[in-house]
Amino acid sequence: MLFSCTACGKESHKNLEKFSAYSFDYFDTATTIVGYAESQKAFDEMANKALERLGEYHRLYDIYKRYEGFENLCTINDLTDGAHRTVTVDRRIIDLLLYAREMHEQTDGMVNVAMGSVLKLWHDHRTVGMSDPANATLPPMDKLQEAAQHTDITKMVIDEKASTVTLTDPQMRLDVGAIAKGYATEQVAKWLEEQGVSGWLLNVGGNVRAVGAKPDGTPWTAGLENPEDTEADYLAYLQLTNEALVTSGSYQRYYIVDGKNYHHIIHPDTLLPAEGYLSVSIICPDSGMGDALSTALFCMSIEEGKALISRLKGVEASWVTDDGVQTVTDGWNKYVKQ
Amino acid sequence: MKSKQRVRNDVIFIVALLAVIAIAGACLYFLRGEGDTVTVSIDGKVVATYPLDEDLVKDIHTEGDGLNRLIIRDGKAWVEKASCPDGICAAHKPIHREGESIICLPNKVVITVQTADTTNEPDIVI
Repeated sequence: MLFSCTACGKESHKNLEKFSAYSFDYFDTATTIVGYAESQKAFDEMANKALERLGEYHRLYDIYKRYEGFENLCTINDLTDGAHRTVTVDRRIIDLLLYAREMHEQTDGMVNVAMGSVLKLWHDHRTVGMSDPANATLPPMDKLQEAAQHTDITKMVIDEKASTVTLTDPQMRLDVGAIAKGYATEQVAKWLEEQGVSGWLLNVGGNVRAVGAKPDGTPWTAGLENPEDTEADYLAYLQLTNEALVTSGSYQRYYIVDGKNYHHIIHPDTLLPAEGYLSVSIICPDSGMGDALSTALFCMSIEEGKALISRLKGVEASWVTDDGVQTVTDGWNKYVKQ
Repeated sequence: MKSKQRVRNDVIFIVALLAVIAIAGACLYFLRGEGDTVTVSIDGKVVATYPLDEDLVKDIHTEGDGLNRLIIRDGKAWVEKASCPDGICAAHKPIHREGESIICLPNKVVITVQTADTTNEPDIVI
C-alpha cells in the first residue's frame, strides 16, 4: 500500500516538486521513497510501480511465508522430503543466490546465506524474548553447534540453465537476511534508472540508495544516526548522488537475557552475536554489496575490514565501536558534508 | 518647569516608542515562527503534531487494540510503552534532532521530529 504527501513547495525546481511515499509491508521494515516529479500523480504512478517491484522481491525472498502460485525461498527451506531438495524458481531468486555466493567469497565466509539453521534458532528465541521478556532465553550452544554442521554453502547447488536450486544437505536452510533487502533495493533503483528517473532516494529499512542528484544538482543529505544516546549531533551528514549507504546496528534489533543485549548479527564462527561495534556503515555503488559488507565488517576487526574493503572498488566504511568511538576509511570524508 | 507643549511631546514620544517596541516584539514573535515539533503519522497519514518544548503524555491508538504511548519531556520525545510484540519502538532512544524518527512497524506509527528551520534537515536519517 502506498501513502504519499507533498513536501515543502520551496524546493520546487523547474516545475519539479518533492514528494514522498511510505510502505510498511516489505522486508519487515519501513520503506521510504523520496523523489522529485512534475505532479503528485506522476510521482505516485512511478512510486507505486517501484513499490510493487519491491513487493515482488519481498515475496520471492521471504523465508518465513509461502505464497500461492509461485515458489520462493520458504518453499526451498520447507521441502523436507528426500535428501535432495530441488525447486524450480524465478530467475530473481537464482540471481540473488549467485550474488550471495559471490559475497560469501568476497567476505571470506562472513556472509553466508546457508546459515539458516543457526539463524532460525536465534530468530525463534529472539521472537519469544522480545514479546515476552520475562521468559527470554538463549538458544542452547549444543543446538547451535549441531545446526552449524549444516551451513556449507557449497551444498547449495544452482542450475542456472534449468533455473533450479538444490540443497544437497537435507538439514540446511537458507537465510538471506544479510543481503536480500539491499539486493532488492538495488534492483528497484536500477529499474528506476532504466525508466529515466533521476532525483529520487530509496530507503528500505536502512538500505539507502540515491538515484541521481536533486534537480538543482545538489546531492541528497543523509543524517547518520549516532548509535549512542548522546546530546551530540548526527554522527555525520553524508552526501549521496548515486551511491548506496547501508548501516547495520547492534542497537536496532535485539532482545535482553539476564540484563545483556543480544542483537541479530550472528558471527559465523562463534555462533553468537558479533561483538565490538554499535554500528557499521558502508558507502558504495551497490546497495546489495553495501548490505552484505555492513554485516561482514561487523564480524571482523577494523583492520580485517579495511583489508577487505581495499580489495573492492569505491567502497568506504565507518565503524562505531562499543565505546562510542568512530573510525572511518580514508575516502569516507569525501562524502561528509562539511 | 516644562511647558504643556513639551510634556505633550514627551508623551507622544513615549507612546510612539512603546508602539515601536510592541510592533517590533510582535514582528519578532511571528517571524520566529513555530518551534520544533513532533509529527505523528499512522499508516502514512499525519494525525497529530505537538510542540517539542511542551511536556506531553499521549496515547496513540491504532487499528485493533494498537497503542503507543508518546512522551514529550525536556525537549525530547520517546515511546514509553507499546502494544506491539517486538517493542522496538519503546526501546528506541529519545529523539530530538531534525528528521529523527521512531517507527513502530506493527502499528504503522511513525513519530518524527520536524524543525522550524529546515536548512540543516537531512533528506533522510538512518
